[in-house]
Amino acid sequence: MAEPSADVLLQVNDLRVSYGDRVVLDGLSLSVRKAEIYGLLGGNGAGKSTALQALLGLLKPQSGSIDIAGVDPRDRPDLARERIAYIPENVALYDHLSAKENVSYFLSLSGGSRTTAELEAAFGAVGLARDAWGQRVAGFSKGMRQKTAIAIAILRRAPVLLMDEPTSGLDPGAAADFNALCGRLRGEGAAILVVSHDLLGVVDLADRIGFLDQGRIVAEVSAKGPERFDLRALHDRFARARPA
Amino acid sequence: MSAMTRELFFFLRLRSGIAALALLLLLGLGGVASGLLETQRQHDAIARMQPLQASDVSAISAWVSRSGDPGNAAYYTFHATWNPPSDLAFAALGLGDVAPSILRVRALGLEAQLYEGDIVNPEVAMPGRFDFAFVLIYVAPLFVILLLHDLFSAEREAGRLGVLRSTPQATARLWAPRIAVRLAGLLVALALPFLLGAFIAGTPGWKTVAVLGLIAAYLAFWALLSLAVARLGTTSIGNGMTLAALWLVLALVAPSLAHVAINTAVPLRQGAELSLLQRNAVHRAWDIPKTATMDPFFQSHPEWAGTAPVTAPFHWKWYFAFHQVGDESVATLAQQYRDGILERSRLAERLGLILPTVGVQLALHRLAETDPRAQLAYQDRIRAFHKRLRTFYYPYIFNELPFGMEDFDKAPRYAPETKQP
Repeated sequence: MAEPSADVLLQVNDLRVSYGDRVVLDGLSLSVRKAEIYGLLGGNGAGKSTALQALLGLLKPQSGSIDIAGVDPRDRPDLARERIAYIPENVALYDHLSAKENVSYFLSLSGGSRTTAELEAAFGAVGLARDAWGQRVAGFSKGMRQKTAIAIAILRRAPVLLMDEPTSGLDPGAAADFNALCGRLRGEGAAILVVSHDLLGVVDLADRIGFLDQGRIVAEVSAKGPERFDLRALHDRFARARPA
Repeated sequence: MSAMTRELFFFLRLRSGIAALALLLLLGLGGVASGLLETQRQHDAIARMQPLQASDVSAISAWVSRSGDPGNAAYYTFHATWNPPSDLAFAALGLGDVAPSILRVRALGLEAQLYEGDIVNPEVAMPGRFDFAFVLIYVAPLFVILLLHDLFSAEREAGRLGVLRSTPQATARLWAPRIAVRLAGLLVALALPFLLGAFIAGTPGWKTVAVLGLIAAYLAFWALLSLAVARLGTTSIGNGMTLAALWLVLALVAPSLAHVAINTAVPLRQGAELSLLQRNAVHRAWDIPKTATMDPFFQSHPEWAGTAPVTAPFHWKWYFAFHQVGDESVATLAQQYRDGILERSRLAERLGLILPTVGVQLALHRLAETDPRAQLAYQDRIRAFHKRLRTFYYPYIFNELPFGMEDFDKAPRYAPETKQP
């Protein structure tokens, strides 16, 4: 069980989810602190999507607990959702609306509204080119869509960000921009959970990595200070940790 | 920005949605315009008929008054009856365009005159008219399906459903306003043409409100059906096909099968057949002894039994008597025909309780007074008027009294129910 801490904004303890006889989450526990990026790494079928659905309150686990900035999504899913900004793998916006209109629309859905100056500041912060702000998003690249989604997350001021395969499909330049942006969000105090199957992408981004296999964390590593992860050592460690 | 304002703005930016509503609005306007033109044609025909009727009676009276023969007056004078379309008929023409709105009757046998309308305009009777009721009953559900079938699946297919479902209070903030805006758009697209038509036709407030209620209820039914399929279905194409099939069954197949079942359960002679039977009975009288006509006539009308006997080869007494006997010979069949129509209406009304397509259509036609019951009511008024004609002419004919110019002014005048605006 993860250690409780005042800085922890996302806490998952012994989460169990099964569909019939098939156990998908088998005692998942993890925590993400304020101003931390946590990489939840796992292969296909490891339980990443189920974990995300449970965190978003879209499914009810059979046992275990979730705490999102002081709220259990099973008891108060709407309040928990207000404290989470979710950025899916493929950011799908409304193509018939402009970037600004999309941001206003999704903000309004979440019950918030921001001034034009705040919108523009968010676009500036995520690095979306100024001439794209008023354009319909139909022609946007994946990177531009992701920047728009992160602008929404920034404007929602949610303390916890859930990102599903955020760098998948991004070119190296866009991935670097994205990582830098996440770093800035972390600097502002956000707790970010990045769910991915891409070791390389997570290594460049996360402060800690939890290896998810068969529904539970089989290993967890952290990188503090200037040192970075040793990719080969990580891979070997993950491979060793996996049950035979 | 409120949720409704946000969804309204969102919908207004959706070109396909706006195009769909614009098309429905145009179809609604077309249906109303078609109905208004038809009812105006009926009003015009009634208005044109009045001076022609007066002119006709004037010509006959000038000729008849020279001989003073009451039989000539009764035989040659047509008396106009008319059934003006109601102030809501424009919305649901029903039988209004195939059943006669004008029927000129003489004091002769009535049954043969009543059903002359049944054989008018069969090519229109088959497909039905393009009117507002048609747009509402058959076309509007397709637009409801169009706007709601992919409410969830389109979001899933676009990859947005996860984000939208993770929205706080998604039902209240997103789905309910989104559905409400689309339904409101459909309601406006249907209500605007109807209200315009109601204003032009002078439809009273209660009827207008009743029709608006029917429109809202009918849209709600199709919306619930569409949302149920949208909720259970997974793909937009699948949902669309399922709903199209349901539309086909509910709007076309089930009512048609029920129509056949009702007609089979309640077999009915056609009105034209009644006319033929009555005419046969009338024409047979020329070939049988006069006593075979006059005896049963005097039995049922003893008030004329004491009048001078018919001895001449031809006498109007005998002629009008065999017409009346002809009517009476098919009276039971005529009553069965009327009862059968009412029974079919009753069965259709019961069907309307479980089939909204049928129920709303019947309700509209009832309100518009264009249903079979309204047609029977017009027939009843004609029968009553025709009885007054016989009561007026028979004393002259059977008492062999002269019929002068001034007697034409004493003839009964038909008065329709006041329905005109």
